[in-house]
Amino acid sequence: MFNFKSMTGLMAGAVMSIAASNAPVMAQEITVITPYLAQPGTQMFIEGFKAEATNMGWTPNVIDTAGDIAAVISRIEDAVTKQVDAIVINVDPAQIEAGLAVAKEAGIPVIGMDSGTSPLLVSNITSNGYAMAAETSVYVANRIEGKGKVVMFVFDAFPPVQIRGVVADAIFGNFPDIEVIDRVTPDVSDGGIADSRAKMEAILAANPEAGSIAAVWAAWDQPALGALQAIEDAGRGGEGIVIVGIDANPQARDAIAAGGNFEASVAQDFVGIGKMTAGVVARAIKGETIKESVIYVPTVLITSANVGQ
Amino acid sequence: MKPGRHKVQSMIRTFKLYGTLIGFLAIIIFFAIQLPDTFLSARNLINISQQISMLAVVAFSMTLVMVMNDFDLSVGSMASLAGVVAAVLFSMGYPIYIGIGAALLVGVLGGLFNGILVSFFGILPFVATLGTLTMFSGMAFLTSGGKTIFGRDIPSAFSGFARSGIQLETFGFAGLKIPYLTLVAVSVLAIIWFVLEQTVFGRRLYAIGGNYEAARLAGLKVKTLRLTAFVLTGLGAAVGGLMYASRVASANPTQGSGLMLDAIAAVFLGMTMSEEGEPRVIYTLVGVLILGILDNGLTQMSVDSYVREILVGAIVISAVAFSSLSKQVR
Repeated sequence: MFNFKSMTGLMAGAVMSIAASNAPVMAQEITVITPYLAQPGTQMFIEGFKAEATNMGWTPNVIDTAGDIAAVISRIEDAVTKQVDAIVINVDPAQIEAGLAVAKEAGIPVIGMDSGTSPLLVSNITSNGYAMAAETSVYVANRIEGKGKVVMFVFDAFPPVQIRGVVADAIFGNFPDIEVIDRVTPDVSDGGIADSRAKMEAILAANPEAGSIAAVWAAWDQPALGALQAIEDAGRGGEGIVIVGIDANPQARDAIAAGGNFEASVAQDFVGIGKMTAGVVARAIKGETIKESVIYVPTVLITSANVGQ
Repeated sequence: MKPGRHKVQSMIRTFKLYGTLIGFLAIIIFFAIQLPDTFLSARNLINISQQISMLAVVAFSMTLVMVMNDFDLSVGSMASLAGVVAAVLFSMGYPIYIGIGAALLVGVLGGLFNGILVSFFGILPFVATLGTLTMFSGMAFLTSGGKTIFGRDIPSAFSGFARSGIQLETFGFAGLKIPYLTLVAVSVLAIIWFVLEQTVFGRRLYAIGGNYEAARLAGLKVKTLRLTAFVLTGLGAAVGGLMYASRVASANPTQGSGLMLDAIAAVFLGMTMSEEGEPRVIYTLVGVLILGILDNGLTQMSVDSYVREILVGAIVISAVAFSSLSKQVR
């Protein structure tokens, strides 16, 4: 009538059968911990990291804490207990210092994969936000031949985006005939497209003459997309206003491929960041002293010429 | 079949009562064999106690309402809100005790609101606290502006609390300490155990859980009792949220959200150990330990985190299913 099974079997059996298959101890044990594995960028970091790790004969253990930051600390503690050879994190180090301190004390190197800098990390491997902003601002300055009115979309409250604005300010400031007529901080609570569009509509209304605005420089893609919508809907798509963004998200790539005003964006090499991280892990395990607290992986300017690749 | 029936029944009874405990011990033995060098080391056990401390406090508090067959789905967002309130006050330059006091007050007020909805408006706890879950979460976003508050805004004494503890050097364990977070969890356990098991108030909560109508007709002030239990649960959630904020030295409006389901799972696991199927806070501790030990041990064994989630779910279901099956057979 009812199949009697002890709880011992039920509870422990499942644990044992699955866990035992993973039991063999690798020569190099690397634990990768992230709360953000569900995000596409993170998955590409991991993909790149795993590819390189396989080449080196490692079997990295990737742990996703599903958004739980305290669990990242707990899992770092577990990895330290297990005495792994290195730990890779993909989360803001300021929030997990409790765990990083434990790893440091145990002498286990922790490497950041697009995480942020911290004296408790061996190094952080990421994209150069300054360089990305320089790529697009110089693109704009060259396209408009160093003269005309430029609208900037910035967001100074968020440090990684703030530095992009600083670089663009400097580059536009170096061209005497470029005038930045507005430095807009859009409301980003809805993603940034809708409010940027509204702000751009107002700017277009204030500058009604054809050709009065030469370019729109946005510190990330969403405001650029909002500005594009505003320009097209105002019927001013034919004036040759150059729009650039940063990040090269899929929507931005579509817009660039369409060949309209949105001309360029910059793509981070997520897979490359993952691969470079694995390389740094290998150096750290060998005991090499790594001087660079941040290591940058080159980014790629995306235009209609290479958007299809 | 007949002669053996009594024997089978008594075996089922034994396993119903001790099945979860046996499973718990089996998990410990399994990890002790698989991880001979590390799992039962003092440092790892202390780590586990600290890792589960936040969940433990929330689960112990959840036990208070689950004793009355009620739920509080808002504990996770209350934990986030409490952390955010304290952090925002810290960032405005208020001293630590003001931040903590305000966060605890928010917990009490939130619990009071839940209690009023449930006991005076008669809204089902599931619906009422589902509503307040969203409200508290919205408040946490509003208070923080949707951002994570960290760095210099968080006083080092506040984040230092989660990294400190009582040194055990004097007791011959060099380099080890009992973390303050663990001590907070133990204190909350002691208080809730005392309240539920040793006071008239606690008896009355169990009476409401046993039969609400009978408790009311017997003259118990069921509305006030339920209200009080919800207030205490809200307060416990706020304590858990502060512990979390201290551990991650930051606060963001979603950081507590994972606590709610785990807390309910822990109470359910614990309930399978009680003869009457009632939540008991000591059994809730076993539930929390099962979840925490699985996380700790499986991480050390390099088991994929998704597999770990499936396992934890399967274990909760099998424990509860076993308990309910054996009830049917009886």
